[in-house]
Amino acid sequence: MKEHVAAATDDLRHGFTEWRIWLLLGMNDIRQRYQRSRIGQFWITLSMLVTIAALGVVYSYLFRMSIRDYLPSLTMGILVWALISAMVTDACYVFTGAESYLRQVPMSKSIFVHRMLVRNLVTFAHNVTIVPLLYAVFGVWPGWPVLLAPVGLVIVTVNAFWVGLLMGTLCARFRDLPQIVASLLQIAFFVTPVMWKQEQLPREVSWIVDLNPLATFLRLVRDPFLGTVPKPSAYLMGIGMMAVGFAVTIPFFARFRARIVYWL
Amino acid sequence: MASISLEGVTIEFPIYNARARRLTGELFRRAVGGNIKSDATHVSVVALRDICLDLADGDRLGLVGHNGAGKSTLLRVLAGIYEPPSGRVRIAGTVASLTDITMGMDLEATGYENIVLRGVFLGLRVNDVRRMIPEIEAFTELGEFLKLPLRTYSSGMMLRLAFAVTTAVVPEILIMDEMIGAGDAAFVVKAKARLNQMISNSRILVIASHDVEIVRRFCNRAALMETGRIVSLGSVEQVIARYLQ
Repeated sequence: MKEHVAAATDDLRHGFTEWRIWLLLGMNDIRQRYQRSRIGQFWITLSMLVTIAALGVVYSYLFRMSIRDYLPSLTMGILVWALISAMVTDACYVFTGAESYLRQVPMSKSIFVHRMLVRNLVTFAHNVTIVPLLYAVFGVWPGWPVLLAPVGLVIVTVNAFWVGLLMGTLCARFRDLPQIVASLLQIAFFVTPVMWKQEQLPREVSWIVDLNPLATFLRLVRDPFLGTVPKPSAYLMGIGMMAVGFAVTIPFFARFRARIVYWL
Repeated sequence: MASISLEGVTIEFPIYNARARRLTGELFRRAVGGNIKSDATHVSVVALRDICLDLADGDRLGLVGHNGAGKSTLLRVLAGIYEPPSGRVRIAGTVASLTDITMGMDLEATGYENIVLRGVFLGLRVNDVRRMIPEIEAFTELGEFLKLPLRTYSSGMMLRLAFAVTTAVVPEILIMDEMIGAGDAAFVVKAKARLNQMISNSRILVIASHDVEIVRRFCNRAALMETGRIVSLGSVEQVIARYLQ
């Protein structure tokens, strides 16, 4: 077991030092997807904009809220949810999607987790260009709390790292796990306050939202953009998830890291 | 000093049938309890069995054997791709595996970008690859094409580029699955010369080949593999004689 742990920490360390490779791979993923289309990655942003406008109008009537109140939080909610759910979905494919590399070259496995993070953060960066537009159209200004958004983003990304390591390994072995994760995410979208607000729930049940880790991650990035400082308990939970996640994932990864290639 | 030492290396590939690959199947099996032997979910293929091998500076080992004898798996163990659950692998020295020379290349990127990409996958630093570009550029004779995306290349041109980058650095331990070659008549001569130089500058060579002439030309030791074992290890002529029996 000692050897396993040493090899795993080696893998993780090299994963960091070989940042050139994952930066290159991550950027290439994006480029490949939209190569030769005129506006490239902004197609995603554009389609997101259309979705948000349509949902915003319909749900502001359904919830009897003014668009001015509803649309900013819906927009930020969808942007951040897109990031979180894409990271969880992609986490399942970090190793199976890298089969051609892993079977040919002895690369650190964690490189491919970093690659997944780069890809999704770059996509998010494209989508965030909607935000100034949002501020301009609705005449809102978040003030200094917006400075906390990067902090939330870091917490989400670090958590996504262990999720990638854990789910990537599990999904290499159990090939229908990605499907299970995808359908769970679909349900999670509805029970997480993306389309609705926590305050809309009756007081007796609204505490349930606080137990939802995805809701916490959402809040840590979304709320600063809307000028709200997330509760300290949200930060505590985010960091707690990090600690628990790594405490579980590191021994797991150490045990099964060498087996991943055999499963591909 | 480069060296390779394998002791009792055994590699098994688990073959999961569709049922075991699914988590739901696993949960179901666990819940019901008891293993019905006939549904034997843990079938495995033994690709390498108890391999012992010691190589040092100056060794040029040729691996021969029929398809499925375990040659490629052994090469992958030497390259550090498969870490054996049992046995010990000790490898000292930089290793380059020329099993798939186009690995990591990107059709949408330009020739120049691909030089860097390929170089990075060979374990080089970006700046080091950049420094090697003029030499690689001259060797490929691709000229203006290097500024275009790889998808505009013919397969021969692509191979030229891959070959040029892959052979630009000499590793201490060189691993090859069949001899590689690339390009038209004129290029083949150049490529051969470059490859020969690479081979003679490396400290250890391990090459798997079905062509005994290749083994005769480049190797000073040979190993015959059969169903995952090394059944004969010794001088080239001795092993080839047994292989051809």
